[in-house]
Amino acid sequence: MTVKQSKKPISRRKFLKTSTLAITGGAVAYGAVGVPLLRRDGLLLRPPGALAEDHFLASCIKCGQCLQVCPPQILHLAGISRGFGIGTPYITPREGGCLLCAGLPCVLACPTGALAHDISLGKDAEMGLAVISHPDTCLSVLGINDLVYRLKNLQKKKTFSPDQTELNKILTALIKKLTEDEKKVWQSKFALPDVSDETLISIPKQLENSDLEWIIKFTESSGQGQKACQVCLEECPINDEKTILFVNKTNPDTKQDFLWPSVRKTCVGCGVCEEKCPTPVASIRIIPRLKWSEKQNGSQTRKDNLT
Amino acid sequence: MKNNSDKKDGKQASVKTFKGPGLRSQNHPQPGHGKHKWRNIRWAILLFFNVLFFASFFFDIQILEGTLSASRLLGFHMIDPLAALQVILASKIIMVNLIIGVVTIILIYLAFGGRSFCSWICPYHWLAELGEKIHQILIKKKIIKNHTFDRNIRYYFYGIFLALALITGFTVFETINPVAIISRFIVYGPSLMLLWVIALLIFEILYSRRAWCRYFCPVGVSYQVIGLMSPLRIKWDKEKCSNCKRCQSVCLVPHVLNDCVNKGKSEYVNSSLCTRCGLCVDICDDQALSYGVKYLDKLI
Repeated sequence: MTVKQSKKPISRRKFLKTSTLAITGGAVAYGAVGVPLLRRDGLLLRPPGALAEDHFLASCIKCGQCLQVCPPQILHLAGISRGFGIGTPYITPREGGCLLCAGLPCVLACPTGALAHDISLGKDAEMGLAVISHPDTCLSVLGINDLVYRLKNLQKKKTFSPDQTELNKILTALIKKLTEDEKKVWQSKFALPDVSDETLISIPKQLENSDLEWIIKFTESSGQGQKACQVCLEECPINDEKTILFVNKTNPDTKQDFLWPSVRKTCVGCGVCEEKCPTPVASIRIIPRLKWSEKQNGSQTRKDNLT
Repeated sequence: MKNNSDKKDGKQASVKTFKGPGLRSQNHPQPGHGKHKWRNIRWAILLFFNVLFFASFFFDIQILEGTLSASRLLGFHMIDPLAALQVILASKIIMVNLIIGVVTIILIYLAFGGRSFCSWICPYHWLAELGEKIHQILIKKKIIKNHTFDRNIRYYFYGIFLALALITGFTVFETINPVAIISRFIVYGPSLMLLWVIALLIFEILYSRRAWCRYFCPVGVSYQVIGLMSPLRIKWDKEKCSNCKRCQSVCLVPHVLNDCVNKGKSEYVNSSLCTRCGLCVDICDDQALSYGVKYLDKLI
């Protein structure tokens, strides 16, 4: 290096000058071109307490400490496609909604206040709002019970080895909702020693195809099976706040009564309903950052903001 | 006590003695002094802290949580000064946590020597060190030529990116900060931005020796400022030095040794650019270089 220096002092000095100019110029240009380019209009669902998007992007130091403390581990860090959002946390509600954990650990972990420390309760978060994006597939509107629906889906998978985890989940949910009498029917069918929930769920792992059919029929005829799906409300982490009301409505064409899931002002947009919605494409989805006032102003389907 | 011919043609001698036994030490036996003692300790510490970061998320071991941008050591905030400045300028809000975190970092690096962050903690620096080795091999084989840039670019960058943060309201530099990108990669897994880091490394290997750390990295500038005040420095013993200049041949920032080895003016390596990596301490057969604590050494 030093040898080269002494040999060609002038060209080297020139190179230094031009390269310095070029590189610093490049940095300025990156700022000038990058800022408009890297700004994204698309909004992501942010963790609870997130400041308004621009302020959030300015404040987030991209350390990921919110991910570290997130009990359900549903936060992701955004990649390059998110512009200035590189390294900022977001939630993909369909893969896992925010459970609004007690104490909001992510908010407490944030060192910069990008997740504002002035909220401490999940119900005070303003992440977005849920909207019924596909009323045509919504099981509540169609009057179908979610457990029956899921069981039938299982049965449709022709290759008979019903997905054990899915089946277990369905049965766990079902058994909790059965009446005592129905539990006894269950007990006698599978010759179980007693009617405690644990025993009922522990029915033989190797179910026959006919058993599955029986279970479906049994579920359909049970009291629970008569009720239309209300999973979004049941799974809502703050359902005490009456986030979703099921309103009686009548279809003007078929004159059939149905229950319309009406999202209320108390919804914070945590995304659990979207995660748990049993239809193949979630019938309910979160619009990030959507405010109740904006929603009331007409645009129930504000421009697709998810991606 | 030393071969004086060495002093005269220092440059040549350094080339000659760099690899082989050379001066090493017929005269000075090395009592348990491994050739890469400090480098190995340094890499072990670098690995240790980055594994702590990794373990905090992967195994949920809550000792050192976060990344190099901002983290918590046993619950105490630590925040990178440049990142904190950007956040403050972009958001126009001064958060108490940011101040606490930056002050903690300043105190820590006051004790451990400023840019020691670069060589003892920064994972990008470690990659760059490996890249440098490849670069040197390629240079030796005359496949490539090295190109140098102006060292002041880092300061321009510091200013430009702080100004950009203030004007645009975004932490612009954090989108391309390779230190943060690598750190996030270690803790949270890969992202596409790794391509940028790989491009940088290729540039360093093929075009300019360890260019990012040497000329561009504004993250190091904050630590440099802290290093100005940190008493932990490399100490140079004039009496023992045979002036072979091998220390400069291995030094990550060779000109920091000028005042000592070349000019004989200073007892300590006072340049803020010194990363306290200890490569010079390792290579010195005369035991003329060691870690010292300026001001305190004299008291003791």
